[in-house]
Amino acid sequence: MQLFSKNRMWRQHELRSSYDVVIVGAGVHGLAAAYYLGKKHGVRKVALLDKSYLGAGASGRNTAILRSNYRTPEGIPFYDASLKLYEGLSRELDWNLLFSQCGHLTLAHSDSSVTGLRVRAENNQLLGVNSRIIGREEIGNLVPSLNLSESTRYPILAALYHPPGGIIRHDAVVWGLARACDRMGIEIHAFTEVTSIIVENHRAVQVITNRGRVAAGAVLNATAGWATTISRMAGVPLPIVTHPLQACVTEPLKPFLDTVIVSATLHVYLSQTDKGELVIGAEIDPYQSYSMKSTLPTLEQMATYTLELFPQLHGMRILRQWAGICDMTPDFAPIIGTSQEVSNFYMDVGWGTYGFKAAPISGKCIAELIATGKPPGLIQPFSPARFETGNLVGEKAAAAVSH
Amino acid sequence: MKFRFHDKTIEAQPGDTVAAALYRSGQRIFSRSFKYHRPRGLLCVSGKCPNCLMNVDGIPNVRTCITPVHEGLRVKAQNAYPSLETDFLSVTQRFDWLMPVGWYYKTFTRPAMWHAVEPAIRKVAGLGEILPSGPREYEHAWMHAHTVVIGGGWAGMQAALAAAERGEQVVLIDDQVALGGQACYRKRMGPRPDAIIARIRAAANIRLLQNSYCFGLYEGNLLGVLQRAPHPGASERLIHLRAQQTVVASGAYEAPIVFPNNDLVGVMLSTGVLRLLHLHRVQAGKRAVVVGKSLQAGEVAEELRDGGIEIVAIVDPDTILKATGSSTVNGIQTRTGHFSCDLVVICGPRIPDNGFVAQAGGRIEWSEPQGAFLPTLPPSNVSAVGDASGEAVANTIAPLPTSKRAFVCLCSDVTSADLCDAVAEGFNHIETLKRYTTATMGPCQGRMCQLSAIGVCARETGRSIGETGMTTSRPPNPGVSLGALAGPKHHPLRRTPMHYAHQDLGVVWLDMGDWQRPRYYTDHLAASEEERVLLEYRAVREAAGLIDVSTLGKLDVRGADSGKLLDKVYTHRFSDLPPGRVRYALMCDEGGIILDDGTVSRISEDRYFVTTTSGNLDFVQQWLEWQICATGWDVHITNVTAGYGAMNLAGPKSRDTLRKLTECDLSSGSFPYMACREAKIKGIPAILLRIGFVGETGWEIHCPAESAEGLWRAILGAGHEFGVRPFGVATQRLLRLEKRHVIVGVDTDALTNPYEADMAWAVKLDKKEFIGKTLLAHAAKDRSRERLVGFVLQSPGVPEDGAAVVVDGQPAGRVTSARYSPAQLAAVGLAWVKTSLAQDGVFIDLRVNGELLKAKVTMKPFYDPEGVRLRQ
Repeated sequence: MQLFSKNRMWRQHELRSSYDVVIVGAGVHGLAAAYYLGKKHGVRKVALLDKSYLGAGASGRNTAILRSNYRTPEGIPFYDASLKLYEGLSRELDWNLLFSQCGHLTLAHSDSSVTGLRVRAENNQLLGVNSRIIGREEIGNLVPSLNLSESTRYPILAALYHPPGGIIRHDAVVWGLARACDRMGIEIHAFTEVTSIIVENHRAVQVITNRGRVAAGAVLNATAGWATTISRMAGVPLPIVTHPLQACVTEPLKPFLDTVIVSATLHVYLSQTDKGELVIGAEIDPYQSYSMKSTLPTLEQMATYTLELFPQLHGMRILRQWAGICDMTPDFAPIIGTSQEVSNFYMDVGWGTYGFKAAPISGKCIAELIATGKPPGLIQPFSPARFETGNLVGEKAAAAVSH
Repeated sequence: MKFRFHDKTIEAQPGDTVAAALYRSGQRIFSRSFKYHRPRGLLCVSGKCPNCLMNVDGIPNVRTCITPVHEGLRVKAQNAYPSLETDFLSVTQRFDWLMPVGWYYKTFTRPAMWHAVEPAIRKVAGLGEILPSGPREYEHAWMHAHTVVIGGGWAGMQAALAAAERGEQVVLIDDQVALGGQACYRKRMGPRPDAIIARIRAAANIRLLQNSYCFGLYEGNLLGVLQRAPHPGASERLIHLRAQQTVVASGAYEAPIVFPNNDLVGVMLSTGVLRLLHLHRVQAGKRAVVVGKSLQAGEVAEELRDGGIEIVAIVDPDTILKATGSSTVNGIQTRTGHFSCDLVVICGPRIPDNGFVAQAGGRIEWSEPQGAFLPTLPPSNVSAVGDASGEAVANTIAPLPTSKRAFVCLCSDVTSADLCDAVAEGFNHIETLKRYTTATMGPCQGRMCQLSAIGVCARETGRSIGETGMTTSRPPNPGVSLGALAGPKHHPLRRTPMHYAHQDLGVVWLDMGDWQRPRYYTDHLAASEEERVLLEYRAVREAAGLIDVSTLGKLDVRGADSGKLLDKVYTHRFSDLPPGRVRYALMCDEGGIILDDGTVSRISEDRYFVTTTSGNLDFVQQWLEWQICATGWDVHITNVTAGYGAMNLAGPKSRDTLRKLTECDLSSGSFPYMACREAKIKGIPAILLRIGFVGETGWEIHCPAESAEGLWRAILGAGHEFGVRPFGVATQRLLRLEKRHVIVGVDTDALTNPYEADMAWAVKLDKKEFIGKTLLAHAAKDRSRERLVGFVLQSPGVPEDGAAVVVDGQPAGRVTSARYSPAQLAAVGLAWVKTSLAQDGVFIDLRVNGELLKAKVTMKPFYDPEGVRLRQ
């Protein structure tokens, strides 16, 4: 029984001279791509390269919220497929990811936000996603601790309720996938930084790292925060700007909040982990930066908005604050597919603030694309070519602050 | 002084903390541990460890050892049932073999099982509970200083005095109740430094923040400082302190030693015992064993003896096998024998408190001779002195025996055996080890456990402590309350100059961003929104209505190059606009996406009056200012939004009404549609724009804010005989919808270009250059995927805003606005549909309450399609 075993989760390897697929970035996206390459397509001569420890980037810095109540006919089935994969992943990996489908509530404090949520509810229902608008009474039943007073500056009018949404243990997803990859013979190389990519005849042939060079049949850029840096090494420009995003946790508290709460008007979202800590997230910082230092004004903002929703928390102490960096695309939708400039250079990037929840499905789809050369229908709308045709995906209203 | 501890009354002496008073009253168990519910007693007595956390006056997780007693406090234990002394859940430690490190990842991997057990796990986890508490006041303050010194011990005081003598403005932050650092509780270190304290108090250029702690050193030498009880009216004050130079003199704190049963009640840090003794005159025990290396332990033993505590033995940590006792310690078992005692005094490693240097970007490296992580390359504006720099720190790292009862992390009950297991499983980097075991992630923020965890990791991986390294130091550390962070912040509420006139009329308000606007008027009569809106609607269509539009953004744009700027930022042309004329203005970004709309009026040759949407004013102003940066253009932009009140009088009787108040010629011949004039109305200077958002003859009147309420009342008075009524936003929305006028942000979204929104007429592609031109030219040729169309519902009912357009059961668009139209006698609205459906007469399906209803597409306005009325 694994409870009493002390097996290594993943091994360390010497870097080989060549791999069928080299994946840059061993976060959830890179790991999911490797996992499905190995599992579904039998491609196992795969190396995952990461410049730091496993889960050091966005995979370990997000607020671990999963949901599929998006807005567009392109986004909804995609995220829903991801949620369904997550639902089965603990069992598949034999590793409890602590996925708590506690329900997800997006609050509306104005008529216009009710309208925005209704668009999502309608489209969700048409596409089979459990999501609906609920009124104040039902909100009060679901979240008795929430301040539903009508005398606040922005009283809560309604909410989009998405029962299958919830939170998961983000690090556990990284570790579970890493173990599964390792068991298939896929190599995980932590502290292996990619410094350049050699392109010949429109093909990426070699990846140069601080531990040596490797030849690659295909290269996947699965980084977040450094998507443009890595793609530029292959000569592939991306319409991405990078912003920090900050979050914080409080000291542990007895169960107080059993659903995920999001308020776009108040720029805040929060949930309570099984350990009892309240996890609070902010919107992206308004400036572009690669800095992962947290700032006091953002912390103060998170506190202010949290107390508008839960004034009784005033004495709770913040234990930690941190920042991650997010690659923002013009339409708040990811870039998944083959680059037009370099035929074997694949991208699973541009994940903004919503990459974690999409990891399994994008890994699965990009694995299929790499293995078969054909992009599955679910990722076709997210092809990098859309920035030339102008067929952008209008996901901003559901993706920007709505975690 | 007295306070309540559960149903007991506890006597306290002046200067007591809650924990000291409880200890004196005989309380020994202060908390139960997180995982195994083991009894825990006082350890550090300085607010650093998790052992004394209780609920005080409703607030959970309060460090009672540094919380002063106030008369009438209500104190309760937490995470223990039924009591601290008997906690049923302590049975979990018997099942620790079922809960090895990471057990929850390895069990319940079937979703159904996990969903069944998770609520129970949640209930058991967590620490404190929020109980009802009285209101608390939190304050914010801002300060600047040349030099900030963190820490009021010897080194800090000297640094502060030295800076003061150089003539610098100094702020000295001390987290204790009195200056002096260790000297306050270590009597053998010599007399209290009274002389230096007196000099600090006398120095005019030293500002002392006593009982205050720095919780973070942020970018640009910004210090977050929390001042406790700054005055009787406030419980906490957060100070934003900007320093040119920061001196970190935060000293060193003591950490525990790892051996089996090292967490028993009665095992305390030497500094904790001394603090109880000297600060609170409480003997922590009668017979003590001192654990430590000879020199350090000898000094502590002497001092305890002076305090009347019997010293049973001084024990070298290398020889310890375990502490004995069931919940309270009764002795120490060493290789040489057993020593009975009621107190174990740990002389643990002294950890330099220099996280601030790391937060500022400085390097922290392991120093083997000193046995501590020390700052090596601090940034130029940060320095560390005293113990924080490692000055008098010389630690010998005690062994870290592997045991399931040797606790490294007291916050989450992580033992040395757990850490070894985790390393064996591959979590061999200190950051992954931390995340897998949760060691260093609890309320002590790593103070008690970080060094031991690093030590175990180093040993198990065969690396040195220096190679193993520390985890990232993150503020806030120490933690800080949400209340203090939020401070007295609130959302501003903006009211228009006519606010009280609306209130007098009887009004239902609508929040629009910061603004509050009349949604509709009630005349103090109860009636449904529909009825009130219909009344206002009829007034506008048949007589006239008056609406407050003061929330519009208003910019005064002057200078010779104003036209050039407006040509650049708007899609229409304004440099050729003759004075006295108004034009609709649409603003796009580089991608051709609609950002904002409004009107531009040319008041005179070099003066334009620009209006923006209410919500986008700040953005538009910044955007305009950004666009003139470094151009050298002669343009001056002044935000006059708050300076002007604005109202719109519209309807067939608006001319008759206004004529009674002004000498300005309002006839269509001399004041045609889309003209503007400066004129006096009832003696009030005003700008009149003849525009028609609601589709009737009308004027938008801007006048000085201080006169706006008077003018509002005057117009309503003058119009009374014609049946003029005030109308609100709800009615305006209906009126404009009948005209198919688009509201940016309501009918458009973050991807809408003017061609899709059917506003091609507002884009002048023949202009030489303007923002968005390239992509707009592309969009003009390319048939876009979606179009904004009008529709008339073919059956009774009104779709809600946001309803879906459905084709073959799939979402294929959305309704942005829909209302019942008295003009059409049916619901009308705007919707996004596939371009192929964007033709007059096409039928589309709308989802209304789950049912599909037919609607007929129209590309023309629903009311007065030729626009005759507004030109009359």
